[in-house]
Amino acid sequence: MFITDIRKEFYDVVTNQRVALLVAADIDAVCACKILQVLFHCDQVQYTLVPVAGWQDLSTAFLEHKEQFQYFVLLNCGANVDLLEMLQPDDDSVFFICDTHRPVDVVNVYNDSQIKLLIKQDDDLGVPSYDEIFRDDEEDGDSGNESDEGSEPSGKRRRFEEGAVERRIERQRAKREWEGRRREILFDYEQYEYHGTSAAMMLFELAWVLTKDTKDMLWWAVIGLTDQWVHDKITHMKYVTDVATMQRHVSRHNHRNEDEENSLSIDCMRISFEYDLRLTLYQHWSLYESICNSCYTSCHFKLWTLNGQKKLQEFLADMGLPLKQVRQKFHSMDMAIKGNLRDVIEESSNKYGMKDIRVQTFGVHFGFKNRFLASDMVHATAALLESTEKDDSASDNFLKALDSLSRGNLDRLHLGIDLAKKKLMAIQQTVASCICTNLIVSQGPFLYCYLMEGTPDVKLFSKPMALILLCKYLLKAFVHSTRNKRCKLLPLVMAAPKDVEKGSVIVVGIPPESETSDKKNFFGRAFEKAAESTSSRTLHDHFDTSSKIDLSSSNAALQTLRPSLRQTLGGGLLFISSAASVLEALSFCFVISCLNRFFVCCWRM
Amino acid sequence: MFCEKAIELIRELHRMSDGQLPAFNEDGLRQVLQEMEALYDQNQSDVNEAKAEGRSDLIASIKLRHCCLLRNQRCVTAYLYDRLLRIRALRWEYGSVLPANVRFHMCAEEVQWFSQYKKSLASFMRSLGGGEGLDITQDMKPPKSLYIEVRCLKDHGEFEIDDGTVILLKKNSQHFLPRWKCEQLIRQGVLEHVMS
Repeated sequence: MFITDIRKEFYDVVTNQRVALLVAADIDAVCACKILQVLFHCDQVQYTLVPVAGWQDLSTAFLEHKEQFQYFVLLNCGANVDLLEMLQPDDDSVFFICDTHRPVDVVNVYNDSQIKLLIKQDDDLGVPSYDEIFRDDEEDGDSGNESDEGSEPSGKRRRFEEGAVERRIERQRAKREWEGRRREILFDYEQYEYHGTSAAMMLFELAWVLTKDTKDMLWWAVIGLTDQWVHDKITHMKYVTDVATMQRHVSRHNHRNEDEENSLSIDCMRISFEYDLRLTLYQHWSLYESICNSCYTSCHFKLWTLNGQKKLQEFLADMGLPLKQVRQKFHSMDMAIKGNLRDVIEESSNKYGMKDIRVQTFGVHFGFKNRFLASDMVHATAALLESTEKDDSASDNFLKALDSLSRGNLDRLHLGIDLAKKKLMAIQQTVASCICTNLIVSQGPFLYCYLMEGTPDVKLFSKPMALILLCKYLLKAFVHSTRNKRCKLLPLVMAAPKDVEKGSVIVVGIPPESETSDKKNFFGRAFEKAAESTSSRTLHDHFDTSSKIDLSSSNAALQTLRPSLRQTLGGGLLFISSAASVLEALSFCFVISCLNRFFVCCWRM
Repeated sequence: MFCEKAIELIRELHRMSDGQLPAFNEDGLRQVLQEMEALYDQNQSDVNEAKAEGRSDLIASIKLRHCCLLRNQRCVTAYLYDRLLRIRALRWEYGSVLPANVRFHMCAEEVQWFSQYKKSLASFMRSLGGGEGLDITQDMKPPKSLYIEVRCLKDHGEFEIDDGTVILLKKNSQHFLPRWKCEQLIRQGVLEHVMS
C-alpha cells in the first residue's frame, strides 16, 4: 500500500526498532542511503546496511537477516516484482520500499499489511483498480458444494441441479471474460518500464518534514536527481519540474543575511543553482577534452570524422579561444576567458545547431579549491561504483562510492573523477570505432551491435550502467551519422562480453532516439519473451530489465536470439500499430529510456 | 666484553617500540645471570686474595667487575619491568582474555602476575560507584555519541548485543551499533569505525 504520511507511517514506526537497509547499486540509491543514514544517526536508530546488486543478492541478504530483523527498508529495489512471493517472508516482516522502478507490481500496491511503498501517489502511476484485478471467488465454493451433494440425488435436488448447472455455466463464462479483461489490463500496465521520482528526493522530503534537513542532505538529493537525468531515466519535463522543487529548497537554505560583516566561512558548503554547460567534467579537465568526450557535442560535430574535427576547430576559432588555452587544464585557463565562457559558448553553439548546450543544474562550493557540479559528482560516483579494478567485489565498490559522497573523502572523489574521465574516453573511442567500422547492423525492427572480445577497454563495458551509457551515445552518434531515415527510429540492442572465462555476454536494449520521449522501455518484456521462445535459461538478476547475460560466447547463440527478438519486437510492433496510426504508435512505444530491469540470461553452450 | 648480553635484551625490547610483547628471552636472561655468577665468583676469590695477601692491584679489577654486576642487574630489572608494563597495557587493550599468540610470549611468572593484576583491577572496579561497579576500561576517550557506525572488514559470524538481538557480521556490511559493544571488535580489527 502507498504511504500517505511518511513521517507517521514510516519514520515513527522504525524509530524504536532495528532496521535492515537493503540498497541497490545505483547512484540514486546510494544518495538516498546516505540521507537515511544521517537521519538514523540523529535518532539513534540501529540499522544494518547491506548492498545488493541484483535479485539473488536481495534474496540471500533477506534470508540471512530475516531472523534478526522485522523491518526492512529497500532502496531502489523490490517495487516491480511480487516481493512476498519472491522472498516468502514471515507474517510479521514489514517492508518499506522506496523505489523508482515502475510499474509497481499490483500485489505490492494492494497488500495492506506487509508492504509499504514510500512513493507519491500522484506520481503518474496508473495503477489498475482493485476490482479489475482481484476478485473474491465465492462461486467456486457454491458449485463445488452442489457437485458434492449431487452424489446423493433426490427428486427435489435433481430439479434444483438443472438450474444450478445453468447458473454455473453462466458464472464460468463471466469469469472467463473477466479473466480475459484482467490479462489485457495487466499487460498494458506492465509492458513498459520507466522511472519515477528519485528516491533521494523522497527521503530528503522526509528529512524536511522532520526539519532535520541539512545542506549535505540537500546536495545528495540533488545528486540523486541528476543521476536520473544523466542516465536518461526521466523525461526532460520531469527533470525540470524536479529541479524547480530542489531550487526552492536551495534558496531556503541560502537565505541568510550574508554581508560584509557576517559572511560565512569559506569552508562552509554553498549550493547554488547554475545554468551551466552540458560538457561533462569540464571544470576538472581541459575544455578541449571535455568537448571531445561529451556525448552532446561529439555527436553534433561528428568528431569521429575529419570534417568533424575541422568543424570543431572552426567552432573554437569562432569563439576566439586560442588552442593553447583550450587544451590547458580548466583551472589554469586565463581568467579573462573563463569569465564569460558560458555565454560565449552558448552563442557560438547556437550557430552550429546545438540549441541546448546549457542545462539547469546545481553546483556546490566549499573550501577554496572545491567546486563541483552535480553531474561531475554523478559521473565520479558511477565510475567508482562500477570500477573494474581487480580484487574489488561489488560491495567493496559500493562502499567506496558511498564514502566518496562525504565531504571529508575528497581524495576518493578525485579518484572517481579520474576513473570517469577514462571511462568517457573509452566510450568515445568505442563509439568512433563502431561507427567507422559499421558494426551496427539493422536486424529489421531493431539495430544490433556486438563488441568483440579484443576491443580495447571492453572490460569497462561488462558493467550495466557503463554499457547503457555507451549504448545511448552510440545510438545518438548513429542517428547523427546515418542517412537512412528509417534507421533513425529504431531501438538499439547491444552485446558485450561480460566474463571471459565463463564466456558470458551482457546484452542491453534501449528505445529509439527521439526529442519527445517519455522514457518508457519495453525491452524487459521483449527479452523475456525471446528467452522463452528460444528456451534459453536466463538469469534475470539486475533490477533493471534491459540487460541480460548470455553465457554463450560464440555468435551462433546470439544469432539464435536475434531472430526470436525480431519476432517478438515485430510482433510487438504489429500489436501497437493496429491500435492507432503507425507513427503515433512508433513514437509511443519507442521512447528513449534506459533500462529499467536487467534480465541476465545464462545460456549453456 | 661484559654486559653485552644484557644490552641485547634491552635492544630487543627497544626494537618493538609500539608496545608489542616479544617472546620471553629465557636464554638471554640465563646467559646474563651466568655471566653475573661468573663475575661474582671471580670477584669473591679476588677479594679474598686481596684481603689475605694485601694485593692492592686487584682492587681495580674488583671495582670493574662490581660495576659490571650492577649494570647487569639494572639491565635485567629494566627488561623485566618493561615487559610487565607492556603486559599491563595488554589488559587495557584486549580485555581480560588475551589472545593465544600473546600468551605464548609470556613466561609462567608473567602469566601469574597478569592474573593477579586482573584480580586487583577487577576488585577496584567493583568498588567504584558505591558498590555498584564501573568498567573503567571502556571509553578510554570521551565518546561523542552513544552509537557509532562500523563497517565489517571480515566475516565474523553472529554477534549478540545487550538486548539479546543477534547481528550477522558479514564482510562489507555496515552497522549502527552501541559504542561499547563495538570497541572490542574494533581493537581486534574485525570492525572499522566509519567517520563521515
